[in-house]
Amino acid sequence: MNIHKLGISTGSAIGRARYFSSVAKPELPASFVKDDVEYVPERDKSGLRQQHKNVLHETLPYNEAHSWIHLTEKYQRNMYGRYGSKSNVNPQICFGTLAERTKAQQRESITQPETLPELLEKLRIRKAAKQAAINEREESIQKKLEKLDQWKAELNAKVEKRKADAAAAIQRKERLIEEVRRHFGFKVDVRDERFKEMLEQKEKEDKRKQKEAKRKVKEEKMMAKLVQQTS
Amino acid sequence: MAHLRESTDKALKLLRTLPRVQIGNLRPNPNSKQNDKRGRAQHGGDKHGAGNKGSGQRQNFMRLGYETGNQPFYLRFPYEPYYKGHHMRREYPPISMLQLQVLIDTNRIDISQPIDIATLCNSGLMSLKPAELQYGFQLTDDGLDNFKAKINIEVQHASEAVIAAVERNGGVIRTAYYDPRSLHILSNPKKWFEKGLPIPQRMLPPQDAVEYYTDAKNRGYLANPEEISKERLVLAQKYGYELPRIEDDANYKMLTAAKDARQLFHGLEPGWLINLVDKTIVKLKAT
Repeated sequence: MNIHKLGISTGSAIGRARYFSSVAKPELPASFVKDDVEYVPERDKSGLRQQHKNVLHETLPYNEAHSWIHLTEKYQRNMYGRYGSKSNVNPQICFGTLAERTKAQQRESITQPETLPELLEKLRIRKAAKQAAINEREESIQKKLEKLDQWKAELNAKVEKRKADAAAAIQRKERLIEEVRRHFGFKVDVRDERFKEMLEQKEKEDKRKQKEAKRKVKEEKMMAKLVQQTS
Repeated sequence: MAHLRESTDKALKLLRTLPRVQIGNLRPNPNSKQNDKRGRAQHGGDKHGAGNKGSGQRQNFMRLGYETGNQPFYLRFPYEPYYKGHHMRREYPPISMLQLQVLIDTNRIDISQPIDIATLCNSGLMSLKPAELQYGFQLTDDGLDNFKAKINIEVQHASEAVIAAVERNGGVIRTAYYDPRSLHILSNPKKWFEKGLPIPQRMLPPQDAVEYYTDAKNRGYLANPEEISKERLVLAQKYGYELPRIEDDANYKMLTAAKDARQLFHGLEPGWLINLVDKTIVKLKAT
């Protein structure tokens, strides 16, 4: 209903204007448009910026530098890589300057200073050292293994001897105690003073006897030697 | 016994009246199904299981084994020698032979051309992260019995069985080292070519990888070719198959195509500038 009202009111206003213009104003100079060219309404309603449209159509986004970034070598290389000859970039820029190339080569020689033969030589040395260490160890083990039986026998003899000595000492002690008891004629406590004294005496005697026996053996040996020498 | 029979009868009677086990009255196990919708506000929209603060809330998950400042468990015991230098070890993400066969069968890979890292990455199903110390792919032996393709493939690590499986079909396999920069380039060649830089040289392997890549048994790219052909025969005898003569093959040239030790792409030399838009090669003229 509002539109209807508006229509009526505007219609009347235009009518009024027409009426007044025809009376009061002189006619404006007319401008002409060609009738053979058809009006084409705006089709591109994306609202994209020109550079983005360019990217969309796979052409260079900017025809001239809009930022200092567009002047850098990296950007220009990128443009060449992405748009090829359409980018108007000289591909020479992609290879860098001679100084840059030599610097890159230097860097490569630092990061990988060794050639393949050198690497192989190093590997060979390392392997040889490892093998040598293994061989050395194996040899030492072999040497020890050869002596193993002998060492085993020696150890067993040592252990047996120690055991026998210990048994003999115990027997001697027991014998001495028994002798002391026999001397007193009755059972004497081991902790008794008299018993201890007697035991000491007996031990001393025993030692003397042992010494004498040793000396006798020595003398006999000497005599045997002398006899041998003289005969 | 009578009462027992009575109770079994009762149980059977009950069972007869109970509903059968069938698809109509089955439901998924409790908590086995996850709701793919994320509730908002009062419908369970509080923290969504991510916690109140910290890395859980921010979803920036810590690296594996990291214990927020504690000495991590895997480093706690100083006598575990296999963790030594673990943060600097080279990683070779696996590709199984089955996966490779599937890639070939589904036309993700063209076997009329040599296969390398770039081929695998360009299939769109494999990816490589050189920044995470991934140094290329290793071909694993899963599904090697069903591997039937005749290919020329270059990987970074392969076991003996895998080598045998490829060579049994009349194919060629090679192991090659690529330095991280080369890997970065090969993992997405198109993106790199758009940078407008000449192709760099491939670096030699580091000292600890030299042994692997110079060994003919591993089909290393630095090994002597004569030794490799000898090892091919040796492997054929070991695994009991007749080695197909690739010399008589129609695709002999493709099958024996190999990159130079310093080369990154098949047919493209280091120092060349490639433009994908113009489809041109720009070379620096030696002066």
